[in-house]
Amino acid sequence: MQTTHTTTSKLGAAIWVEPARRRFRLTHAQQRSLWGFIFALPALSFFALFSLFPIARTFYLSFFDYSVVEKPRYVGLDNFQDIIGDHRFNESLLNSFRYVAMTYIPVWILALLLAMALNSKIKGRGLFRTIYFVPVVMSWVVVSVIWKLIFHRMGLVNTLFLDPIGQSPRNWLTDVDLAPQAIVIMSVWKEVGFFMVVFLAGLQNIPSDYYEAARVDGSTGLQLFRYITLPLLQPTMLFCSVIGLITGLQVFIPQFVMTQGGPVDATLVLTLNIYETAFVFLDGGKASALSVVLCLIIGAVTFLQFKLYRSRALS
Amino acid sequence: MAVARPQHQERTRRPVPWGHLLLYVGLSAGAVLILMPFAYMLSTSFKSTGEVFRTPIQWLPSELRWENFETPLREHPIGHYFRNSLFVGVSVTLLNLLTCSLAGYSFAKFTYFGRDLMFGLVLATMMVPLASMIIPLFMVVKSLGWVDSYLGLIIPAGTSAFGIFLMRQHMLSIPDDLLDAARLDGSSEPRIFLGIVLPMSRTALSSVAIFIFMWNWDSFLWPLLVATDEQYRTLPLGIALFESSYGTNYPQLMAVAFLAMLPVLIVFLVLQRNFIEALTMSGVKG
Repeated sequence: MQTTHTTTSKLGAAIWVEPARRRFRLTHAQQRSLWGFIFALPALSFFALFSLFPIARTFYLSFFDYSVVEKPRYVGLDNFQDIIGDHRFNESLLNSFRYVAMTYIPVWILALLLAMALNSKIKGRGLFRTIYFVPVVMSWVVVSVIWKLIFHRMGLVNTLFLDPIGQSPRNWLTDVDLAPQAIVIMSVWKEVGFFMVVFLAGLQNIPSDYYEAARVDGSTGLQLFRYITLPLLQPTMLFCSVIGLITGLQVFIPQFVMTQGGPVDATLVLTLNIYETAFVFLDGGKASALSVVLCLIIGAVTFLQFKLYRSRALS
Repeated sequence: MAVARPQHQERTRRPVPWGHLLLYVGLSAGAVLILMPFAYMLSTSFKSTGEVFRTPIQWLPSELRWENFETPLREHPIGHYFRNSLFVGVSVTLLNLLTCSLAGYSFAKFTYFGRDLMFGLVLATMMVPLASMIIPLFMVVKSLGWVDSYLGLIIPAGTSAFGIFLMRQHMLSIPDDLLDAARLDGSSEPRIFLGIVLPMSRTALSSVAIFIFMWNWDSFLWPLLVATDEQYRTLPLGIALFESSYGTNYPQLMAVAFLAMLPVLIVFLVLQRNFIEALTMSGVKG
């Protein structure tokens, strides 16, 4: 478009005529564009003030010494140097990734199995779908409070599952090894229904003709899964892995409510570390630098997943 | 599991569907595990403190102790927190319906300078955790004088990237011809939006409403910072606070948790089709 315009002499005339006309009346197309922008304006102003500005400001503050109450003082890359080798940061980074892997890999597998089970025409699948989805709509705070009791030394897990097989009760939430596992168990329980519904939607999008044709050709169930279900489910899997990683890396409430990051930082995740650095240790500069690092991690991980998906889809 | 079924039928054609039976056993076991925490909460909420930790587990309390519900409601402002949550949740939802439907329409059906960039920016904010922007956000709200006020709880949550995304996806499917025909008839743009676009977007609107309300009901970190005064505390805060100070009175704690869970549970059970549609829409088209 541009090249044809610049080579014609008409362009000069257009430049001179258009502004003069615009001053009095917008063309229909321009009016419409203006309306489009006006419609977006309320949401955009909310975003500018309550998302974009705070994000930009966080990046800016990461170069400052800032105690939240005093005026910021420029310190260059000091905050970032501070983070490297900081054991709380290392712990939280490890804890977050461990939480994501231990929670979402089982969640995806279970959700896919459940979705396939419910995709068959069995009776009562609506009821099962509803039941599995109930934890998804519950609030994290309520769920955390309930599970804190379940993992109590005398709670449900110990008395119902460990006691009958002769295991002594465990201190789930005060044991360095068990506390992260306890939170993972709860998260799997809470999240599986969400991904089940997403997978179910993906499965229902696969035309049943494909399966019928393959079955006529004598394919086994496993082959159907390997060569039809899995490849055609790839966009859904991309969605699930992106959503899983983003929500998993942003997790905050269960660790805050159930263990306060303890015992001995065993459940200190990235967001909790940011919160404590900012509002307990009142180190706004370092908290901002930690925030920047977290954003970069999430951005990089998301980018990688899309990249991986594209290269897979091409091959 | 599902694919094992046709294979089975192909090979044996027996009248008893053993595969189905196995499926039922597996699904029911899973369902029991999913529901067990709720049953445990409900049963605990009617117990006496002495009964909570009895072994083996006593699923049916010796009597229904309603005072576990009455006492926290009477002695703590749980009812007030509840009303706060409801008021904030409904306000945030209404505000989101307005901003998200307008922006979604704009991004779906208009072309103007910088549109795609702005939509991209909006989507990118979904990746940024609230914790990452909370200090400057708090400062913004503080300079507006909205700390410890309903405005501070409501306005910053006034729009949502997910809501805009959902509305846009839906509105892309509204035919352009329909809008152009209305334009030829001389309808103004706001009129087209109110008279044609909104009525056609009922499903998407209800989906957005459900998600926004659900998320807001769960909102914790932001109220924790902005509502320091008891008067503006929302239910999640109230529960966390109740837990940290009366956490050993498990029957009362579970009763409060049950009360907090009830509204969303009811909304879900009534509108579950919409919940699932909303998810399906975002997942498959996204």
